[in-house]
Amino acid sequence: MSMRRERAVKLNVINEPKDSYTGGPSSLCPGCGHDLISGMIINAAWENGVEPHRIAKMSGIGCSSKTPAYYLGQSHGFNTVHGRMPSVTTGAYAINKDLLYLGVSGDGDSASIGIGQLIHAIRRNMDMVYIIENNGVYGLTKGQYSATADVGSKKRKGPSNELQPIDLCALAINLGCTFVARSFSGSRKQLTSLLRAAMSHKGFALLDVISPCVTFNNNDESMKSFSYVKENEMTLHMADYIPHFNPIEEVDVPEGHYRDIELHDGSTIRLETISEEHDPSDAVAALTALHEADKGAKHVTGLLYFDPTKPSLAEDLDLVEKPLLDLEDSELRPSKESLDALNSEFLS
Amino acid sequence: MEKVINDFTINIATANGTGSQSANLILLESLFDMGVPVSGKNLFPSNISGLPTWYILRLSENGYQAPGDRAHIQIMVNPDTWDDDLESLEPGSVVIWNSNTKNKTVDREDVFSYPIPMTKLARGINSKLAKLVTNIIYVGALAEILGIDQDCLNLAVNKQFKGKESAINLNIQAILSGREYFRENLEKIDPYSVAKRDITQSKFFIEGNEAVALGCIYGGCQMLAWYPITPSSSIAEGIIAYIPKLRTDENGKANLAVIQAEDELAAAGMVLGAGWAGGRGMTATSGPGISLMQEFIGLAYFAEIPSVFWDVNRVGPSTGLPTRTQQSDIAMLYEGSHGDTQHIVLIPGTIEECFEFGWYAFDCTERFQTPVFGLSDLDLGMNKWACAGFEYPSIDMDRGKVVREREVFEAFETFGRYLDIDGDGIPYRTLPGSGMDPILYRGTGHNPMGVYSEKPDDYHDLMNRLKKKIDNSRDKLPAPILREGEDAEIGILYLGSMENSIQEIDDILLDFGHNVHQCRIRALPYHPEVESFIRRHKATIVLEINRDGQLHGILRKELPDDLVTKVHSVAYSDGLPPRARIYATLIDKKLKEVMQ
Repeated sequence: MSMRRERAVKLNVINEPKDSYTGGPSSLCPGCGHDLISGMIINAAWENGVEPHRIAKMSGIGCSSKTPAYYLGQSHGFNTVHGRMPSVTTGAYAINKDLLYLGVSGDGDSASIGIGQLIHAIRRNMDMVYIIENNGVYGLTKGQYSATADVGSKKRKGPSNELQPIDLCALAINLGCTFVARSFSGSRKQLTSLLRAAMSHKGFALLDVISPCVTFNNNDESMKSFSYVKENEMTLHMADYIPHFNPIEEVDVPEGHYRDIELHDGSTIRLETISEEHDPSDAVAALTALHEADKGAKHVTGLLYFDPTKPSLAEDLDLVEKPLLDLEDSELRPSKESLDALNSEFLS
Repeated sequence: MEKVINDFTINIATANGTGSQSANLILLESLFDMGVPVSGKNLFPSNISGLPTWYILRLSENGYQAPGDRAHIQIMVNPDTWDDDLESLEPGSVVIWNSNTKNKTVDREDVFSYPIPMTKLARGINSKLAKLVTNIIYVGALAEILGIDQDCLNLAVNKQFKGKESAINLNIQAILSGREYFRENLEKIDPYSVAKRDITQSKFFIEGNEAVALGCIYGGCQMLAWYPITPSSSIAEGIIAYIPKLRTDENGKANLAVIQAEDELAAAGMVLGAGWAGGRGMTATSGPGISLMQEFIGLAYFAEIPSVFWDVNRVGPSTGLPTRTQQSDIAMLYEGSHGDTQHIVLIPGTIEECFEFGWYAFDCTERFQTPVFGLSDLDLGMNKWACAGFEYPSIDMDRGKVVREREVFEAFETFGRYLDIDGDGIPYRTLPGSGMDPILYRGTGHNPMGVYSEKPDDYHDLMNRLKKKIDNSRDKLPAPILREGEDAEIGILYLGSMENSIQEIDDILLDFGHNVHQCRIRALPYHPEVESFIRRHKATIVLEINRDGQLHGILRKELPDDLVTKVHSVAYSDGLPPRARIYATLIDKKLKEVMQ
């Protein structure tokens, strides 16, 4: 630690340099939006002062699911099978509920093959951050439309997409997901705040991040191209995250123009209202905002819906306080006397 | 007419959902309590109410537990199967039938016919519950005909309806009414009866699935993820039922998490997640579920994640005969998932082994860091079998090669998740959250350090280390059960629930003039003793309950060339529990071919 100080490296609240949160070099296409998100994950985890080894990086299959190799090199991770990351995370969580589960997925992973698992993880209010790096195409198999591609989206070659897109935020709100946000990989400030808030949330935090594919879906006909999103993004509100270890006064937002939402660990997400009021506890308002944006062929970003009151999977499982991982073998195997008693009970 | 005591088969034909199961269990328990060697098999449909169901009670002084070749006593309550059931009877059989059955009668002259107005008698006792009570009436009539002890019946009724006074009284009243009707209106003219045997029963009846469930509880299972499917659901439900008593602390908090998954894919994913996190995770399913889990099974094998899968085999392919029994998932389990794979399969053949393999599967999966399957079947899993009591695990929990402390970790000269440090093919692992050797687990190719690699040598070495690891497990897995006398030239190799038919098959073969030795395989990959058994015998029959001889195929692939010609397949399956004569006849035929 002292060495680091001498070199004047900036440390976070747990005295870790940002280097402790970085990963290997990316092998994605140069300019990929996913790499921006990886950078923001690193920032958010560092700024939140999460112990890097207490994070579990989970993913499925696809371009997005490769990214856990590019951040949080001190965390264990699991690059599972296509679309089935939620179930693996659920099993791991049952054994060790004290880790911060950070799932990264794509629109192929989450809106098609894995939509069932996504839905059921939301239904269980599984304690995790679930980031969808949404670009409307299957990148790793070279550009097929995904189920989130907008009507009229056009690839470089071949016919345009005429099927209805699945709006994962609307789906999540309807399912009662307890934290639903949409953002854009180019919105560094907003996305970092949302990521930090999602990491503090107890329950399922879904972040649908529009992350243009620079190789297969960056032409003007696509509503998920970089330039289109840049021009047609409606920010619901600017978000600022105030961690539980910072006094709120330090944050510079004019009073009367924001709304504070307290998170599970005592942190606050401060939503600075831009034009109209959006009440994130109002599911109808959230769905209205999504539909309004859709009507205008725009993307609405920000914290759409939030409900801190619902019990998470931990409460539902009703387990002992310690993570099951930390129990002694003698606690897990009932005594010989108990088996003797059972045997005689069966015999009587 | 010569009396037949304690040596016959009773077939009870009823409709599903009419409460006949409790009537049949009362019969089973009371006969058992009398010291009569008896076994019961439930042949039920995939249906909640209305379809035909049969219950077969085999009484056998030789201790045979397979359904016999024929029914000696037929109880007929179900009009839907009436004609077929009646036609199938051999002359001299006994027919106890509900004479209140519309348009049905027993018009055969060559059987002993006992008409009982079961519905009318039942209505006289409780008109609302007449349908249920009808079944208890035949219990009473049969008790009178065979001489089943009323005290034993009372005990069995009490056991069945634990503490529910009104149900107990109603059932006993119905039994007495059936008895009384027979005594006052009919005369015993058949040769069959039961006799009390002077043995104190130190055994109890229990289903294989419940035994597996208890085994898992005592194996320190920490997470159960499951999706309902016949015939495995009662493993999961058994675990759930025992958690409050055996796996809950003084505050009512459990140390075993149960998650009912959205499908079998998710259940398998959860099992892998639990194993990856360092816990003991399991699922219980049947063939269709294993089909769905294949992708995760390959990942568990390749990324070396402890995971336990119980397969209670039913008849496939597809939905197949979902409530009938078969040994047809052997190959699917052993070589599950795409690519080159090979998995450890534990195969219990007795109720005691269901318990033992229940806890051992967790030790095994953590020791070898690979998926471990328990292979049971509907016959073993869902029928009640006599059990002498469960033995407490003989060894402490084996958590395998997990590095939990930093000093231990630092002591390694070099450490890599997939580095074969000990030369036994089993690497060391660290757990998420520990901060030691963090790696990204993956289903893609990786080198010994756990880093992504497509290098030819890395892939080739990895696959061969995995093979070595599984091969090294052979002599550590449960050894086969051998039954050998002297100088028999023929060996019978079999597995699982065939255990309950093998003695009878053996005796019939002896009648046919074949003296045989027996070897019951209890695990795959097969134990070295299996190979020596085959080597010792001139010919070995591989006996299994399926069409294709799946175990035979595995043996042929793995045995040394000179032994391949010594193994011969006898495989047969029709959905019913194995009837000894069918298999003995097929073995006889095969031996005539090969011993020339």
